[in-house]
This record gives sequence, C-alpha cells and structure tokens, in this order.
Amino acid sequence: MNESTFFIITFVFYIISAFFYFSFLFSKRENFAKTGFRIAFLGLLIHTLALIWRTVESGHAPFTNMYESLSFFAWASILVYVIIEGKFRIRKAGPYFMLIVIALMALASSPLMPKEATPLVPALQSYWLWLHVAVTLLGEAFFAVAFITSIMYLVAESKKRRGVKTGLSSEKLDSISYRCIAIGFPLFTLGGLVFGMIWAYKAWGGYWSWDAKEVWSLITWFVFALYLHTRLVMGWKARRSAYIAIIGFLAAIFTYFGVNYLLAGLHSYA
Amino acid sequence: MKFLFKFFSSVKLAIVLLIIITLASILGTLIPQQRSLDEYVVRYGQTAYLLAFLGFTKLYHSLWFISLLSLFSLNILICTLTRFFSKLRKSFQPKLEIEEKKLCALKIKDNLIKNWNLVKTQEELKKELSSHHFRLKGEVKENRTFLLARKKTLGLFGNDVVHLGLLIILAGGIISGLAGFRDNLTLSEGQILPVLKADFKIRLDKFETEYYPNGSVRDWKSTLTVIENGKPHLSKIVEVNHPLSFKGFVFYQSSYGWNWTNPSLEIWVEKINDESFLNKIELNLGEKVGLEGENIQISVSHFIPDFVINEKNEITTRSLQPNNPAAFIEGWQENEKIFSVWIFAKFPDFTRIKSEKEIDFTFELKDFKADQFSVIQVAKDPGVNFIWVGCSFLMIGLVLAFYWPPREIKIILKERQGKTEIIAGGIASKNREVFQSEFEKIMTSLRRLK
Repeated sequence: MNESTFFIITFVFYIISAFFYFSFLFSKRENFAKTGFRIAFLGLLIHTLALIWRTVESGHAPFTNMYESLSFFAWASILVYVIIEGKFRIRKAGPYFMLIVIALMALASSPLMPKEATPLVPALQSYWLWLHVAVTLLGEAFFAVAFITSIMYLVAESKKRRGVKTGLSSEKLDSISYRCIAIGFPLFTLGGLVFGMIWAYKAWGGYWSWDAKEVWSLITWFVFALYLHTRLVMGWKARRSAYIAIIGFLAAIFTYFGVNYLLAGLHSYA
Repeated sequence: MKFLFKFFSSVKLAIVLLIIITLASILGTLIPQQRSLDEYVVRYGQTAYLLAFLGFTKLYHSLWFISLLSLFSLNILICTLTRFFSKLRKSFQPKLEIEEKKLCALKIKDNLIKNWNLVKTQEELKKELSSHHFRLKGEVKENRTFLLARKKTLGLFGNDVVHLGLLIILAGGIISGLAGFRDNLTLSEGQILPVLKADFKIRLDKFETEYYPNGSVRDWKSTLTVIENGKPHLSKIVEVNHPLSFKGFVFYQSSYGWNWTNPSLEIWVEKINDESFLNKIELNLGEKVGLEGENIQISVSHFIPDFVINEKNEITTRSLQPNNPAAFIEGWQENEKIFSVWIFAKFPDFTRIKSEKEIDFTFELKDFKADQFSVIQVAKDPGVNFIWVGCSFLMIGLVLAFYWPPREIKIILKERQGKTEIIAGGIASKNREVFQSEFEKIMTSLRRLK
C-alpha cells in the first residue's frame, strides 16, 4: 500500500460514482443519484487519506508539481460539489461534474506527469505555498461548479424554448451559479492575487512582475468582476451571465494549465 | 465638465474599459515582453518594427496601457463617489415608508392584526426585531406609526471599500514604478559593497549552498551584515523566501556563481606503463609544478567551467555553472613546451595529448575549487505598503459585499378600535431566500404572541 494505491482506489470510486450518476440521468431513478453521491463521498475520504499520505511522505504540501496539484484540484472540486449538492440538491449536475473530476484525475495519472515526490526547490520552501495554492484552487473549484451549472442553465433554457420539459428550474441553476461565484471570487482574490503578491514579494523581490501566470490570473479576475458588475449593477442575468461564468472558468483553467505549457514565465512549478 | 463627469460615472464605461484592458493584457502574454528588437525581428520579421512602435513589446509599461489604467481608475473613482454619497444619505437619513401600497408591492411582505394598542405593539415589535439584531427607527403620525428596522447596513458599502482598495493598489503600483528601484550586488565572501541610494554598506560574511541527498539544491544561504558608519549593525542569514529588511531596503538571495578566473585545481598524473606511479598535484592557473622524479613540469593555462565547442569551432563556456569543467594542461621540459592536452572532470577517459614526442602520462582533473559569489538583489519599493493596505481593503470590502448583506424591514402600524394592524415589507438586495425565511420567522413569532 502506498499513496498511488490510494490514488487509484479514489479514481475507481469516482468512476463508479459517475457511472451511477449517469444511470440516474438516463433512468431518472433518484436512488442511483443517491448511490453516486455516497460513492463520490467515500472517494473523497480516500482521496483525503491519499493527500495526507503524500504530505507525510514527502514532507511538504501536496501540490508542488502538476500531478500533485491536479489531484488536489480534483479533491477540492469534489469537496465543493459535496457541499453544494448537500445545500442545493442539484443531483442533475452530478454526472457532468464527475466528468470534470474524472478528466482531472485522468490527466494526473497520465504518464506525462512525473509522479515521484521531489524535494522542494528553494523558491517553494514557504508556508505561503499552502496558503496560496490551497485557497486559489478551492476558489477555482467553486468556479468549476458555476461552470457546470451555467452550461446546464443554457441547455435547460434552449430546451425550454423548444418546449421540452426539464426537471431543474433554470432560475435555480442561475442562482446557484451566482452563489458559487460569490464564494469563489473572494477566495480566488485572496489566494490567487493577494497571497500570490505577498509571496512574490517575499520570494522574488517584487509583488507584481507582469509574469504570464500573474497576468492570466488577473484576466480571470477581470472576467468574474465583469460577471458581478453586469449582474449586480446592470441587471444582466440568465443567458449572458451564464456565458461570462463559462468564459471565466475557461480563463481560470488556462491560467492553471495553459500558461505552463504554452507561455514562458517565472511561475514554472505548476 | 458636467458631461465629462457624467461620462466617467457610467458603469458601462467601466465595463468597456475592463474588456479593453483584459484584451490588451491577453495580447501582452502572447507577445514575449521586454526582449531586444533583434529577437523580435527574428521572430516576426518586418512586423517587429510595427509592434515596437505600437508599444506591444513592452505593453504593460507603454503609455497607452498606462493611460487605459488611469482612465479606468478615474472611472472607478467617480462611479464610486457618485454612488457613495447617495448611499451615505440613505443610511444616515433613511426615508420611512408611509404608503401602504408600496409595502404591499414588495416581494417579501406580510400583514397581521393583533389585539394590542399601538404602544404595546411597538414595544413587542421592538423586542422581537432586536432579538434578530435589527435596529429600529420610527415616527408617529396620528394613529399610525412608521417603522424602519435595519441591520448590516455596512454591507451597503462593501463595493465602495473594494473600489477604494483597488485605487490604493493602483496608486501603490504607480509609486512603485516611479520611486522604486532594484539593483544587484555581486559579493564574494568578506567583500563589502555600498548600497545604492543608502547610507550603509553590506558585507557578505559567508555563502553556502545546501544540497539534498539526491544532489539537487536545497537552499542558498548568504550571511549578510549591515555596516553603518563603519561598524557592523546587524547580521542575518538571507535565504530564498527569507529576505533581510533594513531601512526600507530589502535584500534577497537572487543568484550565485563562481569566480573562475583563478580556480585551484587538483590533478592526478599517472603513467600508462607504470601502475605504481601516481602524482597528485594541486596548483593554480599559470603555476608550474614539477612532477616528482621526472624532468617535466606541468601547468594549467585555461580552465573552463562548462566546456563546449561553438558553431565557429571555438572553445568557449556554455554557462558559469560547473557542468562540464575542463582544464588545458601544458607540459614543459626546460622551458620548452612538449605537449598540451584538454582534460575533463566528467570524462576522464577522453584525453588526446598533442605532442611531437611519445608521452606516457595520463591526467585526471580530480577537483576544482573557486571562490563563490552570491548575487543579492536590493530593492526599495515605497509603493509596497500601499499594496498591502489596498489588499486589506479589497478583502474586507469583498467580505462586506458578499457576506454582510444589508437587510431592511419597513413597517406601518395602524390602530383601530384597540386593535393594531401590522403591515411589513422586507428589502434585501442579496441572499433574498435566506432573508425571506428570517422575515417569516419574525412574523410567525409575532403571530404567536398573546
């Protein structure tokens, strides 16, 4: 038994959970969704153990390379989903959300990602690693839920226009998207921008250097600022809001992956 | 003037500017920034001159980008101010609702009749609402009372606090850009260097690199001493993530390297035909050392830390890191050079002796030592405190805006024949569902009261 065994068991649990969720989607039997939720929750517990194991074994935070941070992001996403599902009962979002989580887990387990825990390079030896990465990814996990509910909103709306009945009310989806962004935005601001600036000041000697990752997190922040202003001040809702939320999450994902692989910069860890 | 003011108080302008700034920022990440014009010409051809002219090659520092940011700041400032004052008026001199119709038009509303007189009703209401942390304000007119219950009014100003934070951050950025500076100090152990624009000096006492068991770098540590008026003032070990701050100057561990001009080398000389022969020589560059029992002296005329042969067929170093250390050895007999050879620390078998005579020796570059130097970055940034203050405002404002939602309950009391009718309406701009259940709870417990 080691960390990777736990990781694989977690992955299997998430896949089974997704399987139940999709069965629910096609059969409309609530019990399948309940089982899917329980299995995802069990997966979350095992995943937590895997992360703790990794932390103890490597002696540092479990997000210092792409494999680790993907696994952590998947964990944070499931955590946020469990909370949102518990609060708002949005079972129909389950199958789609599990797809994102499975994609993250699959990317993490791809052979392109080096999995061995390497000792920390000097720049990462700081407690800001915990604060900066954990808070940012938690914020982005809320954006992920908003992304799913926004897509579902668009689908529900187009079905409505064609006269097809849907189970979930589109107003509820719209409101859940907003609620998630209302939680994710302050977290992302704190973790990504504020903690990021403090750490950059301590480690690199400047709080802002227009590095590609910095600029892209600012862009992500701008998109969600746009979401909030158009919605709260100009009264945009519904479709246009949903599009902005989708763009915002895509920007967050580009900040997370794209910048590392497509653009050069200081921020070359993960 | 009035037109300009109106123009800058528009949220639509803010949104347009936000979109333009976002697109410009994206452009800046697609074109590599702050490179030399030659590099751009290689990459983009003739377009490079256009890009440079438009400021796209140092976009974030270009006049037009900074102008955009300034316009945006002005926009935020005026938008915030115009709304701030009307909100301030509203929260200090709130208008009581006197028209029943308007209360009934609200989404969250209720009415009930109690067997109390007006005074008693007022007292009971006050008790009930203050148990939910509402503050009450009222006015009595004839047989009617108009009440306003409010809480978390501060939440109204969340977005103003956020915007104030942003403006402070932008101001901090401008101050950093204008008044901040950075410099690099390259110090060998024991060396003292003056700090630019400061009245003190910095001495490097010790520099060491720590390694993990697998050979990767664990940390660089420079022990620095601040020397003020010729006397040591304080010492600190500076590492990555642990800078030294003194009088507004911050010293960072930035880089390190070796001074390769005069390394001391250890070379082992062996004979091919005599396995018992082993001569261990320690020497510096240019120094001639005789081999024991042989009429031969050797010297090292060149040392290269990262040996490479470039495309022009010249021997050069790829970097200042000792990745492929090589020494050029010359052998002498009575001041006449009889052979020469490059030897490589990492490839001991790769030696080709150039000589007219038959040479029986092999050479190995066993060790090399050079003085290390540490590169310390000095930064002075008077804008940085603005940034931290701005960030604090930003976060406080966000929490207020999202998690401190203002709630208002407007109430009209009408007394008729010893009974009092309570008409109540609730207003919440955010988190309406939560407020609705609170409102219902208050009304239910009022109904239960005898």
